[in-house]
Amino acid sequence: MGKTSVAAATALKTALAGHKCLVLTIDPATRLRTALEMDLGGTEQKVPLHDAEENGELWAAIVNIRASLDRAVLREAKPEEAQSILEHPLYQVLITSLAGMQELIAIERIHQAVAEGYHSIFIDTAPSRHALEFLDKPEFFAHLVSFPIVKLVGRTYQWWLRSRLARLSRMTFELYTRVEEILGATLVHQVLDFFSIFRKIAEGYADRAEQTLSMLRDPHTTSFTIVTTPFKARRDAEYFLTELRKRKFSVSAMVVNRIWPRFPATVPPDSHPMLQELLTWYGNVSGAHHRIWNDVSRQFSSQIPKLIPLTELPRDVDGVSALYELVRVMETWHTQGANSSKFSR
Amino acid sequence: MNNSSAGSRLTIFCGKGGVGKTSMALAFALWNADQGRPVLVVTSHPLRELAISVSLAGLKEAHPQAAANLYIIHIDAREVLANKVRQIVRSELLIKRVLASPIYKSLIEVAPGLKEIAFLGRLHQLSEERTEDGTETGVPAKYDLLIWDAPATGHFLQTLKVSQSFEMYLSGPFALLGREVAEFFGDVSNFALLPVTLLEEMAVDETIELCQKLASELKMYPTGVVCNMASPLLAASDVDFESLYNQMEQAGEAGENLQFIFDRQQHERSLFQKLRSSITTEFHRIERRPSWTSDLNLLWDLSRQLGGLLKT
Repeated sequence: MGKTSVAAATALKTALAGHKCLVLTIDPATRLRTALEMDLGGTEQKVPLHDAEENGELWAAIVNIRASLDRAVLREAKPEEAQSILEHPLYQVLITSLAGMQELIAIERIHQAVAEGYHSIFIDTAPSRHALEFLDKPEFFAHLVSFPIVKLVGRTYQWWLRSRLARLSRMTFELYTRVEEILGATLVHQVLDFFSIFRKIAEGYADRAEQTLSMLRDPHTTSFTIVTTPFKARRDAEYFLTELRKRKFSVSAMVVNRIWPRFPATVPPDSHPMLQELLTWYGNVSGAHHRIWNDVSRQFSSQIPKLIPLTELPRDVDGVSALYELVRVMETWHTQGANSSKFSR
Repeated sequence: MNNSSAGSRLTIFCGKGGVGKTSMALAFALWNADQGRPVLVVTSHPLRELAISVSLAGLKEAHPQAAANLYIIHIDAREVLANKVRQIVRSELLIKRVLASPIYKSLIEVAPGLKEIAFLGRLHQLSEERTEDGTETGVPAKYDLLIWDAPATGHFLQTLKVSQSFEMYLSGPFALLGREVAEFFGDVSNFALLPVTLLEEMAVDETIELCQKLASELKMYPTGVVCNMASPLLAASDVDFESLYNQMEQAGEAGENLQFIFDRQQHERSLFQKLRSSITTEFHRIERRPSWTSDLNLLWDLSRQLGGLLKT
């Protein structure tokens, strides 16, 4: 789709206009990552710009799930606890397997970035359905950690288990026993054991996620941009408009990216038939792209304030010069001035 | 293709998000269904999502034989787990309470590998044409082919890996299921893997990485790789391409515009070359269609292309 490229180009555009900007990305292409000198550990790197207006700066960072989580653990937990979390067999697995973990960390990362005083932050995230579902329930951690057994502290939970189970209501005890039976005692004990130590961090995340989410819902501080390509444009627009609105996020723009430019390219009639075929095929595809753009911009103009077409570049976006080219393409379409603290997804 | 002693052959379409896995899975299903073979497609999209039903609107009228043989379902891992609860816990009241309890709901979310085991277990069941007692509609009694429209790479690999390393966590009813799943996916003759890719930098890199991980971590190898949205020129030989390039250079004024087109062509060819030199398998090129009158027509066209390429 080009989400990363569009986010990075928009950040560049805003930086050139004299603002301090950060672009956060989950999964950049290798060449772009190298070009922007993004550090795999997740720390922000300044992108050298020679022609920005005064005070304009562009910074770039990868959202590194593992590094972010490790940092949070080390920050929030006591040293011995931190070690036992980092070494817990479940910890590694949870990072990769927990649905919505990426998005939770991304939200956490936004929270950090906002505190660092950027004028505007641009973030692209994975297009997964998880992303939207998870935004619905940052409190599921809270459910887990509120269960009486887990509320009890420390790794001595076996002892607590024996002594405390007697204090649980019969129904709760019965439920717990059944769940243990169904899911297997090993699994349940491991998870509860882990969360009894991870609880504070989990609660911290849930709290901060709530805060960040209400900021994300405020249209004065945050806007969402749908990035799509011609053949997926209609469906993506409908889907994201519905899903984002349902969750009270506001969509301010849609970028239809990778539109093939139309050329009046003709070749002499005695040219090789393959050349003719190629040109006809190309003409059909680019024609279809333009038709779709016209249809979609007409259909959604009343629902989405800014609709921006971007033409396909001759090569994949592989560096800063390609980003400059994207900015140039964007600027041929007159858009409103940059708002403060703009997020784009 | 139908190995009657082992049950249905499972074909898995996998790859990066957005490359066209679902389209390829549906196209392959349509082709087989039209040949008279009953096909069951397991999709990673919940069925209520617009995409699939919109794409196939009008199938019954246009291609009744295919429609009669095509079945599409979505396996919801939480539902599979809930059914397990219903099997194990006898009391109706208790079942309701367990399923509604925050501890159950949270545990199934965070228990590593649990939903994956549930999903794969159901997939395995389906591959042996076993139906669950009284569960979902939409599953035919018999089918020749089971197609899995898999989730995007990361989630896909994670799911498969669970099939090999679940023992750490599971005792009880899921341990048995886990062992069955491990055995099934441990035998590569039970399924065919078909990564789908686009000829773009990120997709190609991810496809190569996927195949490397499948080989090194899971000892699984692709049956073929499907290159979606290729241009018609991709099939041309290098020699032909060179001479076309030269012709273009001589085209004068039109040349600059043509340069754009050829740059993309060149890029596509070099990415295809990169793929071929990194993965040892058959490559199938599916041409990008310039336009189509309906999603169904597109899928039908894709099914003709794909069916001809994949031997079944």
